[in-house]
Amino acid sequence: MEFINNIFTNLMDWLGNWLLTFLPYWLMRLIIDFIVIVAILGFAVVAVLFLTWMERKVVARIADRIGPNRWGPFGLFQPFADAIKMLIKEDIVPAKADRWLFNLAPVVIMIPALLIYAVIPFGDGMYATDLNIGILYMVALGSITMLAMLMAGWSSDNKYALLGAFRSVAQLVSYEVPMVLVIVSVVMLTGSLSMVKIVENQNIPYILLMPVAFVVYLCCAAAEVGRSPFDLLEADSEIVAGYFIEYSGMKFAMFFLAEYINLFAVSAICTTLFLGGWKGPILPPYIWFLIKCFAVIFVLMWFRGTWPRFRIDQMLDFAWKVLVPLALLNIFVVGVVTKVVTNEWIWLAVMLPLNVVIAIAALSLLGQAQQRRVVEAREIAARGWPQRT
Amino acid sequence: MYGVGVLKGLWVTIKHYWGTYLWDVLAYLRREKLLPRGIAPAGTAKRLEPRLEGLFTVQYPEERYRMFDRFRGPLVQLRDPETGGPRCTACGMCERACPHGVIFGIEGEGKGKEKRATQYHYDVGRCIFCRLCVEACPFDAIELSREYELGSYERNFVWDLEKLLSMGDKSGIQHAGDHW
Repeated sequence: MEFINNIFTNLMDWLGNWLLTFLPYWLMRLIIDFIVIVAILGFAVVAVLFLTWMERKVVARIADRIGPNRWGPFGLFQPFADAIKMLIKEDIVPAKADRWLFNLAPVVIMIPALLIYAVIPFGDGMYATDLNIGILYMVALGSITMLAMLMAGWSSDNKYALLGAFRSVAQLVSYEVPMVLVIVSVVMLTGSLSMVKIVENQNIPYILLMPVAFVVYLCCAAAEVGRSPFDLLEADSEIVAGYFIEYSGMKFAMFFLAEYINLFAVSAICTTLFLGGWKGPILPPYIWFLIKCFAVIFVLMWFRGTWPRFRIDQMLDFAWKVLVPLALLNIFVVGVVTKVVTNEWIWLAVMLPLNVVIAIAALSLLGQAQQRRVVEAREIAARGWPQRT
Repeated sequence: MYGVGVLKGLWVTIKHYWGTYLWDVLAYLRREKLLPRGIAPAGTAKRLEPRLEGLFTVQYPEERYRMFDRFRGPLVQLRDPETGGPRCTACGMCERACPHGVIFGIEGEGKGKEKRATQYHYDVGRCIFCRLCVEACPFDAIELSREYELGSYERNFVWDLEKLLSMGDKSGIQHAGDHW
């Protein structure tokens, strides 16, 4: 049992010791780090291929149909077919596009997405590096994505791409704020910004302590990645692919993959922050991590299959008027409770009911606001629309 | 829409999601004859019903939709049930009625009421399926079939009498103008 739990760390230790017998220390470290990087990136890309398949199947089943089932058993080779298709497409660069920025944008969007995997603990002791500012590093990487979107939108020399880029950046910036506030409340409970310590300190998963924060984080995560119901930026019926409208072939594949890599990364972070990372009773830690991660991803795909899209003003409304107050209230509650009560288990008994009360209050307030809007709309319709004189 | 409505929506979709797996299991049991018919949606006709429950995907090469009765496919020649030969008497009314010149090269043998066609050419590639030829035929010898898989690897779009008769046999049409 212990052996299976620690199989990867033991493997790397053994390999390191063996290399140390005939190589200088710095070279051994170089090789070990290189192997770790390749393994993590390989895992990330394979997981992402699997995610594209899973998305199509899950969304299809929600719609009472089967997803792809022709290539391979259960359609498992479908992502390879998609990859081949994208590789053989012609690479078109618009004549008046800014060539440097145009070619650089897919690269700039892919790299931060991959860099997030450096700090995520996949299991007990299985992480690439234990930065003691882990969470801050991740939020910063999310901001680089916005830069890549602006680059893509501007260099396409297409006003619709530019509009799409503006909207993307507006959405991402608005949803960074509640996300950071929720992360602040998690860090307050833990006392450290390092992701490894956050997992280690979660004897009670934080979702039980702060379910409202989990819901807020889930909404922000969906918006950061650009998934339904927040996919105004790339929905075909809205703005025909938004900021990457002029891309084709492999560059488009880069954007497409970056979205899914971001999706997996964001669910991995959600698992680490709220669901207890790799902690779990019987199975090895990395299996628990994968189970929790795919549960979050399934929930995000469930959201995509269920809800219609938000309009851009409704989206920003939601971020600034609903999520930010909820996140601030959450910080306040966490701050007060952690100072007043000292035992962890009493935290659970106090914060969980408080969160439920906050959730009910928020939902009823939202419901009342909606009622008011409906009544107002009816009045306007009854009065007659404003006439032009 | 905010509030409880979103959660109700989530409940509806997750019921659909798990429901499809249940339908899969029922279809499997039905195929292995462990369950009586009529429980899982079987056959393509059932899947066209408006109030269908369960998966409605038609797995194409293995299951095909049969087109509706008035569907306009390519032309076929019908056989005379007594003699087994073509009903067509090579009168040429269809050739004259066709707006496109798709039917050509009609020859026949025999005298009077015994005359039957021996040559008949029909160009599927240029037919617009308007059915004027069928309306013009005084002997109910031709009809439009319900065939829709017309792709081919060679350019052999001109069908002769043999092919038209065999397509007619395959289509199972008994009389011209049955459903009009």
